[in-house]
Amino acid sequence: MDKPFAPSARAPINVLVADANPRRAKALSDTLRADSSLHVQSVPVGMSLIDAVHQYYPDVVLVDMARADRDALDSVRALSAPALERPIALFVDEDDVNLMETAFDTGVCSYNVLDAPPDDVKPLLRAAIALYARFQRTRAELNAAQQEIEERKIIDQAKKLFMKNEKTNEMQAYRWFRGRAMQTSQRIVTIAMQYLAAQQKSDSP
Amino acid sequence: MTRPFRIGLLRLSDSAPVMIAHNTGFFAQYGLETELVVSPSWANIADGLVWKTLDAAIMFAPLAMMTSLGRRGHMSALKPLKTLSYGGNTVILRGNNPFTGLWPAGEEGREVFEKWRATIGRRPKLSVVHMYSTHFLILKRFLLSIGVNMEHDVEIQVMPPPDIIQALIEGAVDGGCVGPPWGTEACLRGLAFLAGGSETVMPHHIEKQLVVPETVYGNQHTCHALVRALEDAMIPLHAPENRRAIAHDLSRSLEKKGLNLPQEATFRTLSGDKIAEKTYYARSSGETENVTWMLDDMLGLDWINKKEHDALKAEWTIPVSGVPSTKVEVLK
Repeated sequence: MDKPFAPSARAPINVLVADANPRRAKALSDTLRADSSLHVQSVPVGMSLIDAVHQYYPDVVLVDMARADRDALDSVRALSAPALERPIALFVDEDDVNLMETAFDTGVCSYNVLDAPPDDVKPLLRAAIALYARFQRTRAELNAAQQEIEERKIIDQAKKLFMKNEKTNEMQAYRWFRGRAMQTSQRIVTIAMQYLAAQQKSDSP
Repeated sequence: MTRPFRIGLLRLSDSAPVMIAHNTGFFAQYGLETELVVSPSWANIADGLVWKTLDAAIMFAPLAMMTSLGRRGHMSALKPLKTLSYGGNTVILRGNNPFTGLWPAGEEGREVFEKWRATIGRRPKLSVVHMYSTHFLILKRFLLSIGVNMEHDVEIQVMPPPDIIQALIEGAVDGGCVGPPWGTEACLRGLAFLAGGSETVMPHHIEKQLVVPETVYGNQHTCHALVRALEDAMIPLHAPENRRAIAHDLSRSLEKKGLNLPQEATFRTLSGDKIAEKTYYARSSGETENVTWMLDDMLGLDWINKKEHDALKAEWTIPVSGVPSTKVEVLK
């Protein structure tokens, strides 16, 4: 992991990580903790985001957009003054639209005390984006793997049925499905599904 | 690579027109391949429009206006394209109603409030669905009508509409102003009672609109398709015999193209009764929308200044379907 944050002589930045996914929250916190200029805390499970902000006085809050309670942060500025001693607002870098679009697309955003300089915030947001993107990829890979397992099950089922119906061995059954797939430019799993569906139909009275 | 046209919405029964237009294939019929993005909160909807993860969304005007003014960060012009519904917001309060039915205005209402507050035993915590919501404005007016000061007499919290049920169960809130069907659901579950709402405070006020970013607004073909499809979707909503079926469809899981809404409560919002504010779905008419009351309130709250007030009024006083008719005719 390369170190994204320049060491700083200033007071540490208080970062609050608000992530509904505990594994990702831990991964993000660990990443940020590698920088000694950051003081990182996580919103405890069951605590509302606004309560956590009251309690921890963060300079920057990295928020998982799936958290429905981020709307409470959205309102801090409009709520009556005593709501928060240090008002925070959604971070927007007007000069870096690309970064902002990527952030919202990956599902993470940042809220900050109003006087936080962008130089402090952007590296944090970038680190969060990278991590969220990694989790997204992992999930996409997991989905793909699961789909493949599902497809293999279907093909196996169709093969077994074919073997029984046609009194063939597994290799012959497989060749038949593969042959059909090549002839019709379809995937083997599609042929297998069609075969199963057709069998089901002819089985029903 | 083209992706489908993404429309953002929340789990609310007044999302029905967009659900119907999508599920029944009305959007597709007008050549628009749509994808519905059921979002966890209003902030997500607003950010989605600003940062281009959404192409359109169901929204209430104050949030769209404040987003357009850059009050939520990046300034990004949002335009009202079509009005979807009027009214439907409920003011619900925890426990038992110390009064029979909806609360009266004035002194009498204040007395009822005091009786209720005594049973709560703290400064009441009331929730709204977003700061910049019609719900906030409705609640403020409701409290004002019974002489209760929103800033001093109660504590305002913000939470997305479906969350109010759990918050009431846990005692985290004592009530609030919430959209359909969640207030009615809280009443059906015996968690709260209906004290007032849209009908009491501002009958038939404009509630949900289909809002699009300026770039989409400039595309006549897309706007035309959206408006026509939504007009078609209003037809089944206006036929009382469809109410059961619509409530049933909306109660399905998200995977089954529903919104996972409580069915009975949803059904009641379609007709309205003593625990449900009726949602009025838009009809095509030549009338223009009245947003003056909310702009006046927003001015009073210092959310906007007089100049912004007047500019927004000009921009948001639109026909029920916001695409100027000449544009539609050009397209045929």
